[in-house]
This record gives sequence, C-alpha cells and structure tokens, in this order.
Amino acid sequence: MKKRVLSIIICLCMFFVAACSKDTATGGSSTKGKDNKYKVYLITMDQMDQHWVNVDAGCKKAVKELGNIDYEWLAPDVKDDAKQIECINNAVAGGANAILLAANGPDAVTSALKEAQSAGVKIIYVDSAADYPAIQTLATDNEAAGKTAGEEMMKGLTAAGIKEGKIGIVNVNAATASCVAREKGFRSAFEGTSFELLGTQYGEGDAAKSKDIAANYITSSCVGLFGANEGSTVGIGIAIEEAGEKIIGVGFDKSDTILELIKGGHLLCTMAQNPDVMGYEGMKTAAKALAGEKIGETNIDTGVSVITKD
Amino acid sequence: MVKVGKPNKIKKIFAVRGMGQVITVTIGLIILCIVFSIVNPIFYSGKNIANLLRQIAPILIIGIGQSYVLITGNIDLSIGSVVGMSCMISATMMTKGVNPWAAVLITFICCLAVGILNGELVSKCKLPPFIATLGTMTIARGVAQIVNNNYNTGSIGESAQGFRNFFYYGKTVGLYNAIWITIVMWVVFNFLLSKTRTGRHIYAIGSNVDAARLSGVNVHSTTIKAYLVSAVCACTVGLMTCATTGMGTMDAGNSYEMYAVAASVIGGVSTLGGQGLLLGTVVGASIWGVLQNGLQFAGAPVAIRNITIGIIVVVSVLLDVVVRTGKHRKKKTS
Repeated sequence: MKKRVLSIIICLCMFFVAACSKDTATGGSSTKGKDNKYKVYLITMDQMDQHWVNVDAGCKKAVKELGNIDYEWLAPDVKDDAKQIECINNAVAGGANAILLAANGPDAVTSALKEAQSAGVKIIYVDSAADYPAIQTLATDNEAAGKTAGEEMMKGLTAAGIKEGKIGIVNVNAATASCVAREKGFRSAFEGTSFELLGTQYGEGDAAKSKDIAANYITSSCVGLFGANEGSTVGIGIAIEEAGEKIIGVGFDKSDTILELIKGGHLLCTMAQNPDVMGYEGMKTAAKALAGEKIGETNIDTGVSVITKD
Repeated sequence: MVKVGKPNKIKKIFAVRGMGQVITVTIGLIILCIVFSIVNPIFYSGKNIANLLRQIAPILIIGIGQSYVLITGNIDLSIGSVVGMSCMISATMMTKGVNPWAAVLITFICCLAVGILNGELVSKCKLPPFIATLGTMTIARGVAQIVNNNYNTGSIGESAQGFRNFFYYGKTVGLYNAIWITIVMWVVFNFLLSKTRTGRHIYAIGSNVDAARLSGVNVHSTTIKAYLVSAVCACTVGLMTCATTGMGTMDAGNSYEMYAVAASVIGGVSTLGGQGLLLGTVVGASIWGVLQNGLQFAGAPVAIRNITIGIIVVVSVLLDVVVRTGKHRKKKTS
C-alpha cells in the first residue's frame, strides 16, 4: 500500500516537472522580457572561485548603471561540461536575450551555443572563449600573461643568483584552454635558457592535490614552481611554505589565501586578472548589442596586474 | 609485517581468510617501489619517503572506513562528500572566528549524523546500500556547498595554526602528524575489527546476514557501527584537507569514495562482504600513493596513472580468484 501511494506521488511529481519544463522551453525570443528589460545571464565554469564572484560583481555594477537589464548569474556546482551546457539551455529557456559565458572548454559547448544563437540569443565571452563566433571576447590574453609570469620568475631566479635548475608546472587539466595558453606562454619565456622545464602535472585545480604534486616537485629539487590557476597556486604556495626552502613560486589569480602566501614570502608574485573589468565591460557590450549598436573590437585583452609583496 | 618464529605460526597466518591476497599485493608493492627507485633514485630518498607517506595517509584513512562497510556486505558512496562537508564546515567556522577545536567537535557531530543516517537507511529502512548512500552522498555535497553560501572559504587564519599543525604539518618524533593520526586510527580500528565482538559481528553479517541474525547478532546496530567508522574516517580526512590547504574547498574529497573502494579491493577486501583485512587496505592505499608519487618522478603523464590503477584493481582481484579456484581444484574458469 505504502509503495503504491509513493509511486503515485512520484508519478505526479514527474508529470508536474515535465509540464513545467514544457512551458519554459518555448521562451527565448529576443523581445524584451518583463517590465521592458533585457534578460542577460552570466554563465561561469563554477561558483566557487572568487574570480567568478568578481566577474559577477563587475556585471552587477554595469547593471546598476544601465538600468534596463534583468540580470542573473548561473553556474554549475563543479567544473563540468555537461552541467555548463545545462546552464546554457536553462538560460535560453528562461528567455535570455544575451549570455555572458566563461566557456569550460573550447568545443564542448559549441552545439549548445548554436542552439542558443538560433533562438536569437546574443553571445559574449568573458574570461575564456569557446570555438564559436561571438559578438565579443573579453579575456586575459593568457599566453601573454603566462609569458609575463615566466619573465617574473626569471627575474626572481636571477635575483636569487640561480642560473640553472628544474622548474615544475602545476596545471588544472589539459582541457581548460585558458590555463593551457598560460602554460604555453610561461614555457616560451624560458626558451633558450639553461633551465629545464619538467613535464606538466595536473591537479584538477584542487589545492590539496596540487600541494601533493608541488611537494613531489620540491623533493626532486626544483628551483621554481608555476601554478596556472587559483587552486594550483595555493597548492604550490603551501608546499613551498612547508618546505621552507628558497623556491621561486609564481602563480595566477588572486584570493585571500594567495595574498597571504605572497605576504609571507612563500610566493614571489601572482598574475591577477581583472575579472571585474570582464564583467563590467561585457555587460556594457551586451547592452550595446541588444540596442542594435555596432560593436567594433571583437577581442579585448583585459590584461593582468602582477601582484608582489609590495 | 609480522615476525614469525615457529612454522605452525606461518600456517596460522596463511590460514587467515584474505591473507593470500595481502601477500600477493605486498609483493606487487615491493616490485613497484623497486622499479620506481631504479627509474628515479629520488623516489627512495628520505625526504620523499616522508612526503609519500603523508600522501598515502588520507587514502588509507578513508580506505579503513570503506573496508569496514564493505566487510559488512554494504558500500558507502558518501565518503567523498563527507570529506568535503567536514572540510567546509570546519573551515567556515574557523573563518568566522570559532575556536578551532570547538569547530572540530561540531564537524565530527555533523559527520556522525551522516553515518547514522546511512546505517538507518540501510538496515532499518532496508534500502539497497548503493542507493541509500548515493542519496546521502548528494545531500552531504549539498551541505558542503551551502555552509559558506556556495563559495570556497577564505583563509582560516593564523589562529588556526595549531589546528593545521596538529592535523597535517606538525611533526612528532620525526614523523608528520598526518602519518601518526593514520597509524593511531589504523591500530584502533584494526583492533576493533580483529579482536572484539563487534568486529566478529561485522564479519558475520557480511558473510551471511540471516545466519548472523539467527545466532543473535544485532544486525541493525552493527551496520550503524560500520557506517559510523566510515563517517569518522571521512571526517578526519576532511579536517586534514582543511589543515593542508588552510581553506575550505567545496569539491574537496571529490570521488574519494572510489579511491577508498580501490584501496580496499586491491588489499583483498571482498565487495561481497565477510572477507578482508585492514592490513590489506594499508597495502592497497600504499600502491595507490606509490603510483601517484612514483609516476610523477618518472615523468609519466597523469592518464597513465589512472590506467595503471584500473589495471591493478582488476588484476589483484583476478589473481585472488585464480588462486582460490586453484586451491579448490575446480575447473579453470575461462
């Protein structure tokens, strides 16, 4: 009896959900939504990094100034292509006029974007682009930023009187285009020097895993360590702090923990992107595009600032 | 390993169910270590051994928890999420200025609640353990995300330095505390499993639930105890992760439950229940850690590690099956 009641309830729930999703799936035209406002979504890789929180803050600032935007931030709970695609589909179903997207990978989301565009949604990339044409990409030129990181490390090594040695690289994974480009730029800075760059190890952006990898690098007597994103950087920072040796650590992104590690002298510097600029300018571009104005520049480098102890 | 004096003692050791596989994989572990040492001598440097042991620690602790549950014939998929939950709850409280030890206590209570819930769902409500813990896994991950409003926490600060040293960084008698914690937990839980009535009951309900119930074993409370051990282990690893990074990450412990299953199974714990030794879990976790560490020194890409681990899981269990069927002089299974 209990089972029967339960199964009926479950069936009803399913019907209800199915009915709801049917209703919303027909949205997504490029007319203005409720109270004459454009609906703009920000979709990021996840919700965890402070980086995304700053993009969101930049968006909010622009929304305040513009006044005709109904804005919402959507993100999967973890970095996952399938979940990001779901977010895009949800945004389209929710009647988005424009989407600001930080793509997880270059290829995974392209077909979802195609669908979104054919539903009349305008697409703008913030932070990392996918392989699909969009109105504008506002991102850090990661390769250039990576090269800057490499040059900073060279300076640090030279200052410490180190002329040769091994350098370890901790990255997220092989699929995140932005981090791969940073690594490429970083490696290019060392071309023709007598430093040996070891094979990259991937820590999935997880601070604890990255720390283990960095500790292994330190035991194989590396003189320098490079972290390609926030989690990797925290990992190398705490590994250096613990080893207490003079190892030059250079990283990416800005968070409280990273700043503390720099203050403590465990990391030489970090390349801070300007996520707030991405969000702010991205939202402005979206508003322009929705108003039918011309967008000149398709690629905007939002630059990095090198943050050191001082 | 156990020092052996008399030949009948050797027989006794071999008579322990599951010991065969422990010995097989130990040989495998030794071979692995030798190979890695030849490829890169840094592997067996004192510095790396300490580093390696500390990398094995969390895998071994969750392996102990998972072994308990597997021996009762169940499975606990919520381990990884409980690790994340424990990491986030403790870190959030510390960033809000709660005394670290109070935070640890509250974290333990929250994690034990998950353990009790698992046990109740499986033994009282008769849900299949796979489904029940799949549910609690998702719930616990959600809790991990909600405690700090869906953000990773900031740094847990200077006041928590004592906590960080206790769980990870500090050294006692030349060994990292993380390793000591692991040793203490292993000794306690191994004693419980091999020398107490509760331990025997755990094996009994794993071998044959109905027979155990008829001979007066309290299946309900024994199941809950096994899940509690698992929760305690996961909670400890979560606190360790928090101490390691000095912050709370929401996806800490992601897919750890499967690492735990791998460590247990490589070490000869049967997923069908009723068989396995915590000694084997030590070897299983060590193989995991050695591969992770050794392959990095050998300069192999990460993918190779995953493939190797998978192969080792299959081969170690396969070996056991082959050995046992050979013992019973059955026809070879093709």
